[in-house]
Amino acid sequence: MSAAIDGELTPKEEEELGSHLADCPECRAEFQDAKNTKIIIRERIVRVQAPKALLESIVRITSITS
Amino acid sequence: MNEKKQILSAQEELKQKEFQEEAVAHINALYNYALHLTMNPDDAEDLVQETYLKAYKFFNSFERGTNCKAWLFKILKNNYINKFRKNAREPGKVDYDLIKDFYHTIKDVQSDTTEAESDFFHSLLHEEVYQALQSLPEEFREVIQLCDIEGFTYEEIANMVESPIGTVRSRLYRGRKLLRAKLEDYAKKHGFDTDSGE
Repeated sequence: MSAAIDGELTPKEEEELGSHLADCPECRAEFQDAKNTKIIIRERIVRVQAPKALLESIVRITSITS
Repeated sequence: MNEKKQILSAQEELKQKEFQEEAVAHINALYNYALHLTMNPDDAEDLVQETYLKAYKFFNSFERGTNCKAWLFKILKNNYINKFRKNAREPGKVDYDLIKDFYHTIKDVQSDTTEAESDFFHSLLHEEVYQALQSLPEEFREVIQLCDIEGFTYEEIANMVESPIGTVRSRLYRGRKLLRAKLEDYAKKHGFDTDSGE
């Protein structure tokens, strides 16, 4: 089910899951839950920018000729 | 002699240019990953810097056309294990004060996240989601981070964590289930009945 959410199923697996979900409300609910969990992680975890000084130091490091 | 030197520096220049375009472009993702691993901005900076130093040194061995971000993440992870793991917290133990402090340190620089629409989501604080994620056993947390936050494919994750794809799949499934249960606890605290659906 997790693999379906991540787009990692083979077409055959996808078809099988699709027809199972159509008949099984329990799995459908679980599928929705798993989907929401992925969304919540993606949307709620704060992403920060790398400090400017770090970026500059890395650019400097890679500018030193060997 | 002079001519040789000039050729070398032209090659070096090309390497630098490619490195800047391919590798340095991922600095924000690497820094965030390092922050999540170390939970300390100074350590995260050191880790990222060392990662780039190593990556630059071995840039010739980077297989062109493959995912450079995944390659960098793997180097960072290895660096982290060598450098910090010995003093790492015991598995399963979560230092909530540390999470809180850490979260407040980084919170000022908010990102441009779009919000999910359901009330259940809105009831959860960023910090709570982070806490829930951090409280998962490391093997689950790691794959969720790499998949959901960083968007790596199962194959790339399997390579990074050095486990078969099937293991990645099952860790994601079990990890998300655990995470969901923890998030529901938070939602209930905010007065949402998670049993009745979203």
